[in-house]
Amino acid sequence: MWTIFKKELKTYFLSPIGYVAIGVFMLMYSIFFYLTTISYGSIYMGDLYYATARYGLLLIIPLLTMRMFSEERKNGTEQLLLTSPRSVTSIVLGKFLAAATVILITLVLSLIYSVIISFFGSVSISTLIVTMVGFFLVAIAAISIGMFASSITENQVIASIITIGVLVAPWFLVDISTAFSSIDLMDKFLKFPSGLVSIADTISLVSITIMCILLTIVLIKRRKTVK
Amino acid sequence: MIEVKNVTKKYGTIVAVDNISFDVKDGEIVGFLGPNGAGKSTTMNMITGFIEPTNGQIVINGNDISRKPKKAKKDIGYMPENVPLYYELTAREFVKYMAELKMVKRDIRKQEVDRVIKEVGLEEVQNKLIRNLSRGYKQRVSLAGALIGNPDVIILDEPTVGLDPKQITEIRSLIKKLGRKHTVILSSHILSEISQICERVIIINKGKIIAIDTPENLEKATKEKNNISIIVEDPKDNMKTLKEKIKQIESVELIKDNNDGTKQYMVTCSSSTDLRKKLFEVLPKEEIVIFELKKVETTLEDAFIKLIDTAKEGKNNVDNI
Repeated sequence: MWTIFKKELKTYFLSPIGYVAIGVFMLMYSIFFYLTTISYGSIYMGDLYYATARYGLLLIIPLLTMRMFSEERKNGTEQLLLTSPRSVTSIVLGKFLAAATVILITLVLSLIYSVIISFFGSVSISTLIVTMVGFFLVAIAAISIGMFASSITENQVIASIITIGVLVAPWFLVDISTAFSSIDLMDKFLKFPSGLVSIADTISLVSITIMCILLTIVLIKRRKTVK
Repeated sequence: MIEVKNVTKKYGTIVAVDNISFDVKDGEIVGFLGPNGAGKSTTMNMITGFIEPTNGQIVINGNDISRKPKKAKKDIGYMPENVPLYYELTAREFVKYMAELKMVKRDIRKQEVDRVIKEVGLEEVQNKLIRNLSRGYKQRVSLAGALIGNPDVIILDEPTVGLDPKQITEIRSLIKKLGRKHTVILSSHILSEISQICERVIIINKGKIIAIDTPENLEKATKEKNNISIIVEDPKDNMKTLKEKIKQIESVELIKDNNDGTKQYMVTCSSSTDLRKKLFEVLPKEEIVIFELKKVETTLEDAFIKLIDTAKEGKNNVDNI
């Protein structure tokens, strides 16, 4: 698992993808920092993370996940992976953790603004931590969805469009039926920014993540028999 | 040791590989031969565990590839068709990554990477990005990936495609060298390559094995006639009547009339007789001067085409040669 993790993480930063993802994230984050915190003269960081999660993740998650399996399949390098003694589970987890690490890097970088704010007022550390944990949970759920999308097609563009579709569709489907809010990741992030740890939301986000990881593993194993 | 037992692969209703069985002994080099779409790559992909057979069993050194994939795959080095590589890595980084994937122990990893890079001749370009390497070098990087960790079984899917003649000779001698310590299966379109390198040939067509034997035996078994190519100076045109002088001759055919007064003929007789001695005796008496006399060998090419044609006609009786 760590072999694949190391290689994947390295690949993010050998190609522009890692830098672009972090750059776009910081750009969005900075814009929202201006719009929410500075223009209202507020020290409340919750809205900032919420807005960045809603729009920033939409841009960077497909970027991070689209090539995961699509590219390997298209270039045939999946043959190298799947004929190595490594298990499918360790390959999938390695790739997943590498993308999660990029998100973790962005979260650490995002602390800069909290440090800046702390010069002008006291930032609630506990609220900030809860918000960031929530953000990370939403991000890994989105990564797992993107990873699954990437494993079903060898076309990266299709993979990223599926990911965006799955992330965005519930925002509007809620207007048809409130039942769709259960598949809306952002709905599950609502309480975290105010410093509330919602067990139900945490469990849903973690379940979505585990489910998509399992689906990816099953799909790749299954393809061995039908390919 | 590779054992392939009654392996079938179906894609929907299409049968890609149809109930094939064969063994490859330790230290043997076996060639896989067949026209495009015969099922060569599918078979190799099944042996390496990339795809699962629909039916049947594949055992590598006593480990079933489906049941104990980890153990079985550790013993296999695979160079897939179309040389898939990570273009954003350097040659050395790629080989190192393959070493990690293959679970080469940390303490010998560096030395193992160095050994393989030297063995395939990548020293000069090892720090270049694979993206910028020429086709020949890419092929070597892929081969290095197959050799890393010194696996018992090495499977090469068309290892010399797209190389220049010098590189082909180098890769061939490398494969021959490998055959001393490893079990090697390679597929190829180039029949002369197979007959040079391999100890045994498996000819496969439409998913079925139509022959397994040494290249020499295959050539012999498929030979029907003895052909002798002969270049003579024959001012009296006595070659025409040669058939009457030597009864065993089935036909004498003029191949080429050279400008220098010599003519090339093809003399055919049954495969059980050798007419060379007789020709040397008879021709001078007929005032024919021999410039050149040569037995035409059947090549693996002929054997191959013949076997494929026979299989097409439905005469599937060549299995037991």
